[in-house]
Order: sequence, then structure tokens, then C-alpha cells
Amino acid sequence: MKLGKELIFSVTAAIFLLIGTASAIYVEQNFISKDTIEINGQDLSFDEIVILAGSRTIKIDEEEKTGAPLEKLIQKLNLNCPSCSLYTIKGADGYQQTVEWEIMKTGIITDEPRVYFPETAHKFWVSQIVEIEVK
Amino acid sequence: MKKLRLILGILAFGSLWGITESYIGPALTDLGLPSGGIMTAVFAMSFLLLSRITFRKPGMQLGMGLVAGSLKLFNPLVAGCHLCSGIAIMAEALVFEIIFYLLSKNLDELKSRNIQLSLGIITTYSMYIVGNIITQVMTPIVQGYTFFLNDLIVFMPRILSRGLIPAIIGAIMIPIITQSLKLDIKLKDRLYYPSTISISLICWFIVIGSWFFV
Repeated sequence: MKLGKELIFSVTAAIFLLIGTASAIYVEQNFISKDTIEINGQDLSFDEIVILAGSRTIKIDEEEKTGAPLEKLIQKLNLNCPSCSLYTIKGADGYQQTVEWEIMKTGIITDEPRVYFPETAHKFWVSQIVEIEVK
Repeated sequence: MKKLRLILGILAFGSLWGITESYIGPALTDLGLPSGGIMTAVFAMSFLLLSRITFRKPGMQLGMGLVAGSLKLFNPLVAGCHLCSGIAIMAEALVFEIIFYLLSKNLDELKSRNIQLSLGIITTYSMYIVGNIITQVMTPIVQGYTFFLNDLIVFMPRILSRGLIPAIIGAIMIPIITQSLKLDIKLKDRLYYPSTISISLICWFIVIGSWFFV
């Protein structure tokens, strides 16, 4: 009886380790490495983003961060209705956050490249950005 | 008297867990270490298992989670969503309770090294994954924004892979904790009550006092 329970424990633990390992391999294989950021289907370097949207410094967690304001960047894309759109910011490691215009317009994109939103939790500050999808 | 002993145990262990989450966690992050995983596998696991084996009272660990989570809610040094990290700690305690209720009602089974290793992996991995998912779901909701399920689904492989290191540390922790209990250190009542009350008060004073220095 005890041996049976030990076997169940061992198999369950092995399955958990397998899930973790398989996920780690999946994440590694799907890591995107690129120098540009795809914004609404357009590939732009950080310098091109700054030329388009300019630069702004904001204070975050007692630190100053300088980058291109996302509000201006989106306005330059000539969307029909920026305030009705959703913005999915995707990182190289697969992490993504979808935000509404209310959040998007407050943020900046830095040369890291990372987005910062002064009023939100850190969870929204996607790093190693490879794409901003507009829906 | 036994009830008071248990309540003071919950307060002391919960406060110790909460204060490590509040101060050691951010320090590990500053050092560039995976603080979430280390906190779950080393500190949460130690406090939860030590108390479970010592007191042998199911439900106590959930109480500890409520105390630790509440203490984190009051911590001014938490970056981001206070409520979310507090709830994540409470969720970790709940997961521990459920796993120990389902898998290990009889704590004597913990004498088997095979069960110690397996239970360490199962418990720590589950606690880490659930804590992470709760944080991902709760943060936008608490901040008054929309939660997008697709963001979580896409991020799941990353969460599942990050749980691997805590799971391995957890497997090592259970044998260490059970070995340490062989030392059989017992506090007499005249020391137990003042020491548990003092530990709890000191932890809460440190956290509440931090507000005056931030």
C-alpha cells in the first residue's frame, strides 16, 4: 500500500518536472531575437520611433525614464480610432500585455526597449519588446 | 489554552513569513536573483512545513498565509500591486493546505526520503504556479483595468518553466526541514508565549514603522 502511494507521489513529481522542462525548452525555442519593433505591421528601429514621436522623460519609482511617448507614436500611425483600439505589447520571451488607450497614452517606450506606464503595476511594463499589435 | 497556543503560533510563523517576503524578497530581486521562486521554495516552504509538523493542525497554514499576506499588504516597500502580492501569499498557503490534506494526511509518511523529495517538488511547483497565476489575474482587476485571458494563456509556458527551479529547491528543502526537526527543540510554555508574542509584535512594528522612513 505504502509502495503504491510512493509510486503515485514519484510519478506526479516526475510529471511536474517534465512539464517544467518541456515549457523551458518551448520558451527557449520561441525566443524572438530582433533589432526592430513591429508596430501595427511596420518594422521600426528605436531611433526611427524617436524621430516619429519625439522624446519625453517621466518619473517612475523615484527614477527618471526617458523614451518616446506612446500617445504620439500611436497618433502617427493614423489609426481610425486610437481610443477604441486595444494594444498588445509583446516581449521577446513571449510575455505580453494588452492595454486600453487609457493606459497606452500615459506610457513611453525606452531604448531598452521597454514600455513604462507611470500609473500601473510593473506587470504592465513589458521588456525586450518585439511587437506592438493594434486590434 | 491549546487554542491560544495555536493562535500565537499562527501569528508568529505568519509574521515571520510575511517579513521575509517583505524585505528579503525585494533584496533578492535587487541582486538579480529569481526572488519569487526562492521565496516560495525556501522561506514559504520552511515556515509552512515546520509549523505543519510541529503543530499537526490542518488549517493553521492557511491562517499563517492570511497573516503573512496581510503583513505584505501593509509593507510600503512593495513595488506594484500590494493587494496582489498579499493575495498570492494567501493562495500559496491554501495550495499547501490542499496538497497536504490530499496527499499527506499522515505526516509519518514524510519519513520516506522518496516521499519527501516528491512532495517537495509537487508542493513547491504548485504553490509557485498558482501564486503566479493569481498575481497575473488579480493585478489588472485590482487596478481597475480589464484582464485579458489571452495574455495569461500566452504567458503560461513561461510560468510553467519558471516553476522548475523552485520545484528542485523544494525537493531539497523537505529533507532539510525534517532533519532539523530531529533536533527536537521544545519551548516551555513560560518561554513560548512571550517569544511568539514578541516575534509577532516586532515584525508588525518593523513593517508599520517603515511607513515613516519611505
